[in-house]
Amino acid sequence: MTLKKLLLATTAMAVLGSAVVPAMAQTTIRLVSKDLLTTNPDDVKEIEEIEAALKAQGHDIDIQTVDLPGGTSAYVDALGVMLLSGDIPDIIYFQGGDQKMAEQGILEDLNPWIEKSEHIKAALWPHNVERLANYPYLLYIYPPRAPQPVMRKDWLDQLGLQPPKTVEEYEALFQAIHDADLDGDGTKGNTLGLTGFGNTNELDSIFNQAFGVTGTWMKTADGAWVNSRVTDAEKAKIEFYARLAEKGLFDKEYVTNTFDVKEDKFYTGKAGVVFGSSPEVIDIYSGKMRQAHPGENIELTLLPIPSGLGGQGLAALDVSKESRGWAISSISEHKDEAFAVLDFMASKEGQDIDRMGFEGVHHTTDASGAVTFTDQISTWYARFFNAANWEPPVPLLSATGQAALDTIKANFVADNAFVWPAEYAAEVDAAEQVYRSWVAKFITGEASLDQWDQFVSEYNAAGGQRMAEYAATVLGQ
Amino acid sequence: MVAKDGQKISAVLSNGNVPALGAVVGGIGGGSGAIPVTSSGNFRAGLRQWWPYYAMMAPGLLFFFIWHYVPIWEAKMAFEQVRIIPPNIWVGLKNFQQLFSSPIFYSVLANTLIISGMKILLVFPVPIIVALLLNEIRNGKLRGVIQSAIYLPHFLSWVVIAGVFIALLSPTDGAVNQIQQSMGFGTTNYLTNTGTIRWVLVISEIWRSAGWDSLLYLAAIFAIDPQLYEAAEMDGANRWQKIRHVTIPGIVPTIATLFILNMGMFLSADLNQIINFQNDVNASTIDILDTYVYRLGLSTGEYALATAAGLFKAVIGMVLVVTSHLVSKRLTGKGVW
Repeated sequence: MTLKKLLLATTAMAVLGSAVVPAMAQTTIRLVSKDLLTTNPDDVKEIEEIEAALKAQGHDIDIQTVDLPGGTSAYVDALGVMLLSGDIPDIIYFQGGDQKMAEQGILEDLNPWIEKSEHIKAALWPHNVERLANYPYLLYIYPPRAPQPVMRKDWLDQLGLQPPKTVEEYEALFQAIHDADLDGDGTKGNTLGLTGFGNTNELDSIFNQAFGVTGTWMKTADGAWVNSRVTDAEKAKIEFYARLAEKGLFDKEYVTNTFDVKEDKFYTGKAGVVFGSSPEVIDIYSGKMRQAHPGENIELTLLPIPSGLGGQGLAALDVSKESRGWAISSISEHKDEAFAVLDFMASKEGQDIDRMGFEGVHHTTDASGAVTFTDQISTWYARFFNAANWEPPVPLLSATGQAALDTIKANFVADNAFVWPAEYAAEVDAAEQVYRSWVAKFITGEASLDQWDQFVSEYNAAGGQRMAEYAATVLGQ
Repeated sequence: MVAKDGQKISAVLSNGNVPALGAVVGGIGGGSGAIPVTSSGNFRAGLRQWWPYYAMMAPGLLFFFIWHYVPIWEAKMAFEQVRIIPPNIWVGLKNFQQLFSSPIFYSVLANTLIISGMKILLVFPVPIIVALLLNEIRNGKLRGVIQSAIYLPHFLSWVVIAGVFIALLSPTDGAVNQIQQSMGFGTTNYLTNTGTIRWVLVISEIWRSAGWDSLLYLAAIFAIDPQLYEAAEMDGANRWQKIRHVTIPGIVPTIATLFILNMGMFLSADLNQIINFQNDVNASTIDILDTYVYRLGLSTGEYALATAAGLFKAVIGMVLVVTSHLVSKRLTGKGVW
């Protein structure tokens, strides 16, 4: 071969190669999430497994994660500043602050993508569908967060009581826990029936419907929309909480409790009942309870949703929008690839990676394909989704956790709350501050329920009135 | 001052001060025998003469320029609707109107003024007293131990301090309430009582900062000429009289300067502290401008609103600094400039 022929052949191969390369080219997308960091080896390994699985499906995508400070508020602050500076990754996980970005058009409307998706559409929970219809910018495929009460099964057995089915039976259970010496410290009357932390949201989860607080907006007898915060049903519920606190059955220190203080009171026997915010959290409580009492093999039992004069069920779920979740930048040059990543994470293969961790570390698979979870699975958590249609090869949840999930599935009721325009932000904030402050004062005894009317007028003056007027225009007749 | 450069530098260092550019250049040669330098040549000559100092100063100046002066221009965001994809839209005073028209703005402002006022009145004097007391301890080792002990809380975060106070003040098993009960009094939940929570803020602030803040006053006390004390002793002054007539007048410039600087931060009643002590019951009593802006502005991405509030605070702070400077000048002859 002459030198000339060799040069021609080399040039031809180079030209052919360059023509082929774009078809095989790797696409780099940037992803920012609170729970995916380059400093966490598990996060890095999961991303590598996702990239490998996507490549096997024909998507050669290099996922570059952006590190931001951990902790919710630090993450939200840093993400906001990053986006404001014009640095907008392709895939963004929001935990607040998304609405402002959506208003400015930098978040992609996900509904058309989901409509033609291979996996996401089938993986959605019913509330996801409603939230996406109202606000199509965030995707958060998880079961609803509905706190439910649990207590030690051995304590319930010792009391000789059946799980409470009504509001009155709940009060009787709290009283029985308080009066008995279940923690064995030799003193009766020093155990709280129930503890909580921060506010009454956890309690509201099962008591709202029982007292007739059916949703954020309720109709008065004359057909006008009124915020449930200032209804008689709400007053009756607060009266119930205040009575429990006054009798020493509900922890008056709930306002200053942090979540770990609440848990500590439960594990150390200072309180009999606590609420778990999700089925997974209830299982964590079970594990920690056993750690606190080695050798006792304590089981937790899920308490049922009580019925009351107002009805029965879990609190109506806000479906105005996802409060957190995944978004795709509308100015991304790689929307197809970004959505392919999210769609893959909703698939069976993606869920296997995201929910079960790594083979040989968090689970093992034998020759017959049977999966066994190792102890390490308790340190694993899903970074992306909890798809509604994914079934683990062996149960991931305990019987109590599964019962909690089944209750959530069976009791989904959509609320009529809606997204507030930005100009109402000050009123919404002020009214909520007034409500929370008064409720805590009623329950801790700093204010009397006789001052309810004073609270209502203060609430309305702080913005409640203007909010109700706007609600009427949104909710109609 | 002598003619050789090296000697000049050591003379400056022994004073502990680096002269200002003009002063240095104007004084080359020193005293009446100084070499005359024209004003046009001042800068260049000074730079040539003292460049190592200016080189050392440069990173600090650069830092201040980038992080404290450049952002001033961005304060215009307070008058804009911020767009992530530029340009921002000019909206005039709309953000300020939104801020001031909030139903709870004036109660938030009142809370800020009350808490800041309490801190200025009750917290500010404590480090001065601590410094005076520490100065009176003659046993050096004992003073060292006490100093270390009272400085330590400064290094704790508010999360930890709030945890300590919540545990101490718990109405069921907190030490304070147990002492109260042992003395025949009832229990008080200090953290959910709207009448006591501001005092908790003041006391926790004193606990955290009194020791550390006393450092500056202690340094000022040590800088007082010992001959003044000797003279006072010769005149028969006792300890109290020496404190009253020598020590306190000696640290008045430091007190005045720190007071004026504190006034500039008057509307910043410590966001971190408040957030960690805030709960549903006391929120309406200790909701300050910073917590309000954080809630309504930063956490929801309303940066223009947050900037408007920041600008409002800065203007008020500036007015307070200038006013207190002028008052201090008139009363004590000392100010910050």
